[in-house]
Amino acid sequence: MKWYRPAVVWAGAAALAGCFGCSSDAQPGVGSSGGAAGMLGAPGPNAGAESAGSAGTVSAGGTGNAGAAAASDGCEKSPAPLRTQGTLLSLPLELVLGGKPFVFGEANELSGGSSLVPLNLRFYISEVELLRGAGQANVAVDVVTAAGAPAPYGVYLFNAEDADSNTLTLLAPPGEYTGLSFALGIKLGCNQQNPAGLSDPLRSTSQMTWPHTGGFLFFRYEARYMAAGSAGASGAPESLPAVHMGGDIKVERVPRVTVLGALSVPASGKLEKGLSVVMDEILKGATANIDVSDVAVGLLSAPEAIAGERLRRQLPDLHVFVLEP
Amino acid sequence: MAARIYLVAATLCSVALLSGCSNDPADATPSGAPSLIVSTTPAGFPEGTSAEQAPADNALTEERAQLGKRLFYDPQLSRTNEVSCNTCHQQANAFADPNVVSAGVEGRTGTRNAPSIVNAAWGKTFFWDGRADSLEEQAGQPIENPLEMDLALSDAVARVAADASYVAAFKKAYGEAPSEASLQKALASFVRSLVSGNSPYDRHLRGDDSAFGPQRKRGEALFLSEKAECFHCHPGGELTNEGFFNNGSYVAGGDTGRQQVSGRVGDIGKFKVPALRNIELSAPYMHDGSLATLEDVIEHYAAGGRGDVTTDPLIKPLSLSSEEKADLVEFLRSLTDESLLTDARFAP
Repeated sequence: MKWYRPAVVWAGAAALAGCFGCSSDAQPGVGSSGGAAGMLGAPGPNAGAESAGSAGTVSAGGTGNAGAAAASDGCEKSPAPLRTQGTLLSLPLELVLGGKPFVFGEANELSGGSSLVPLNLRFYISEVELLRGAGQANVAVDVVTAAGAPAPYGVYLFNAEDADSNTLTLLAPPGEYTGLSFALGIKLGCNQQNPAGLSDPLRSTSQMTWPHTGGFLFFRYEARYMAAGSAGASGAPESLPAVHMGGDIKVERVPRVTVLGALSVPASGKLEKGLSVVMDEILKGATANIDVSDVAVGLLSAPEAIAGERLRRQLPDLHVFVLEP
Repeated sequence: MAARIYLVAATLCSVALLSGCSNDPADATPSGAPSLIVSTTPAGFPEGTSAEQAPADNALTEERAQLGKRLFYDPQLSRTNEVSCNTCHQQANAFADPNVVSAGVEGRTGTRNAPSIVNAAWGKTFFWDGRADSLEEQAGQPIENPLEMDLALSDAVARVAADASYVAAFKKAYGEAPSEASLQKALASFVRSLVSGNSPYDRHLRGDDSAFGPQRKRGEALFLSEKAECFHCHPGGELTNEGFFNNGSYVAGGDTGRQQVSGRVGDIGKFKVPALRNIELSAPYMHDGSLATLEDVIEHYAAGGRGDVTTDPLIKPLSLSSEEKADLVEFLRSLTDESLLTDARFAP
């Protein structure tokens, strides 16, 4: 079925975004590709820097062409791969809270006798780049399936409910890297699509669709907090019941995250490296006492959307993602 | 605010018109009879027809769907020869059960209301608790369930294998004698052919508002708003996110739903979000059939559910006027595809 032509549909919807109170201003440091501050301290000189280098094919055993993820207005289901050869870099993600595994669907005990049961936790990752040393441009890499096939739309969806979804896999040229950066969400071209008619992971069954602005959620979290002794909420960050972080379909507002850590990608075989998702940082950002009233009006005034906007703005100052040593 | 959402809908509609959304008449078989396999897709659904949703090892063919239809209506698939799939999935009720809980062999009853199976081709998991990952897997379970048809699949196969016309039909459809796998595949094929995409809402999304007046538009706008919050689980288009949520219908000590599959404490009281096409026809509602009318459903959500501590945090009391509640109900009635009820292709 091809009756939705997103560019036309969302040209109309985009015109409405302002009505919903969406800021048309990109947030400094979090909005544009490659422009974010690092998650683990200041990134290297080229972390996040855009490159004019074109995508290329890796020759066997050679190095890949460097180049930042090309910005595209489109959102092709089968985007042209940046390279057809490379090494699979698997990044299994693990949720962590208070230094311990944060187990989905279970009562995770907190200090003081309270507990937290995560009920839903999903997020998108796209536009991934590997970082190299000072003076060297980043290397854009393809998001792929576990088998190495290009991921539809170039997008990875983490769904805590589905263990099969919990590994981010990239096709990387062999080499030494100092970390990676990625969009915690989807690029503007995809965010402007109407999910009706799209396939996984952008189908509405992703649970990431959002009529507020016509765009998608980038990060979704819901949980049940049980205070010590009785059910109910308190002022603790862990008592936050929901976080819905989205963007804006008029301008690029997807936050970009940089994670520093050595990645030595071999010429053959594969590299697996754990990537922790630190929930303490998520909750800290989502409960930050910052003013988001410029966007938190109308439909976006829902508590979970306000929490999401706080998180989006705080991401450059947080350490949400941590590579295992 | 409602006016703004009208604009979104209007934009969608105009584009749908431009691109010529399919509302094809049923395809015809070589004999000229209407085919069970159609190219029509409900509006707002993912790309791909129902046939394109079929697994590689059970491609949807006319022979398979027709065989599945015969099996669907055959009470031989129950131990006592009194219950067929159709007993709990009736065409007049959008292939759901009008009873609170369904009656199986010898009048046995379970704890859940049989849901509609229309447009299940696009589903990801099946049953209220999502314990089946495919229609093929789903198809065999009611046959063997002691509270439903109470017949071992091997016995079901033996029964149909004793009928030469069935043997011929299986040979034609699957190239082999009846087997447990092919029996389930055939049933899944018929279910996959049950496509409904001609409701006023479908036509509205395609740009035809002749049966989608102001009250339905107000209801749709509310449906997609934070005021009513329906969209969280029922996003526009498919009207289900295929997820599992505790919508406040669970009461302590009751059916724990998804938790029985996952074992997770966080899944207590979670049930699969149903699709809403033809919801008017598939009363009663909720996993336990405890709400008799659409008005009851709206009141349930307006109250924020039944108050159990396991209720999803997004289920909260709503502030809706009586007019707004009526608008929501009228929107839900716009999801009724009248042609489904009388479509002779789906009848025995």
